[in-house]
Amino acid sequence: MADIVFVNEHTSGIGDRLIGIVESVIHQEHGSVALVFLIGVIFGGIIQYTRVDKFEKIAGFSILKDTIIPKMLFLTVGLTSIALYFMIEAGGASYHVKPIMLQGLIIGGILFGISMAILGKCPGTGPVSIAEGRMDVLVGAIGGILGGLVFTLYYDDFFKPLMGESLGKVILPDLFKGHETLTVLIFGISITLIAIFIPKLELFDEADLCKLPPDERPDKK
Amino acid sequence: MTNRLPWWMGGILMSGLLLLTFSIFGADRPIGASTYVPYFAGIIFDLNPENYSYLKEIEAPASWEGVMLLGALFGGFVTSVFITKSFRLSLIPSGWKTYKNNSVVSRLLWSFFSGFIMIIGARLAGGCTSGHFMSGMSQMAISAMIFGAVVMISLIITGRLFYNTKGEK
Repeated sequence: MADIVFVNEHTSGIGDRLIGIVESVIHQEHGSVALVFLIGVIFGGIIQYTRVDKFEKIAGFSILKDTIIPKMLFLTVGLTSIALYFMIEAGGASYHVKPIMLQGLIIGGILFGISMAILGKCPGTGPVSIAEGRMDVLVGAIGGILGGLVFTLYYDDFFKPLMGESLGKVILPDLFKGHETLTVLIFGISITLIAIFIPKLELFDEADLCKLPPDERPDKK
Repeated sequence: MTNRLPWWMGGILMSGLLLLTFSIFGADRPIGASTYVPYFAGIIFDLNPENYSYLKEIEAPASWEGVMLLGALFGGFVTSVFITKSFRLSLIPSGWKTYKNNSVVSRLLWSFFSGFIMIIGARLAGGCTSGHFMSGMSQMAISAMIFGAVVMISLIITGRLFYNTKGEK
């Protein structure tokens, strides 16, 4: 009984709250804690190994001097859309679609695009940058945590009304009833072709290149 | 030995990871990377989830992403130390020096500001590059396509206005 009272008080420490996060994952039907951690390790590893966490890649795309980000993103989407569709048809997965909240998507998208260009990171690549020692991104993360605090504090009064009403969870094949498979194939193949045909531009960081032997420098090939 | 993967290999691997995550043998959910931030803010500032509807709403996905984030930090750190050998402490990116200025203070202030509006933007839209662009577009979600288009336009206009691409060194 005493324990329950303690938990309900506003004094449970940060340690307890962090344990709460792990417990929440254990009780969800979304993979074991080890698997979720492993997904993160692979996610961080791919982002780091392809170097897409670099300022020169994301901010470089904003000034159209580097196209690795759109090429990799479009390829990922093109391949996954087709494979995921057939996986769902076979009963091996299901769609988890986010609702269309027009105002939230547009205002949020504008803010997100501005910040992505300036910070040169996004919420997935930022932590990977911090892990390789980018202290400016850590300052960005502190800004992000305060942004998250403001969002939480004013969610009911300000942000939720700002997001607008949901127009439903619509996916492209819903708009072409009877031709779902064809729609998916056309979408997936087009997006894959876009990824291949976007001209490859790269902006390199001398601070990384100077550590490599001259014949391994990608900018000299 | 190469110290980085080409974009197409990255795309194929990321696609494999997304499929594993979506699969009922994996996590049976999409990948996301921005929901955990307000939840962490709630923990750091000791907000009681009972008093804040948003914290209650996001508890499950934020916890899932929180554990994934720890993995991403670990995976990113190990890869940067042993494979890409890019680990070093730095305060200002080379590209910032070339296209913006040499001021560390300017970089840190802009980082703070952009981090702040980044999370507000992502939470207003209900996702980020991972949740909307990668996971959402892979499901052909109209919401993700609207977000992706707005972000691309906003990103490129900001790049044009914010950086100095004419006076290149």
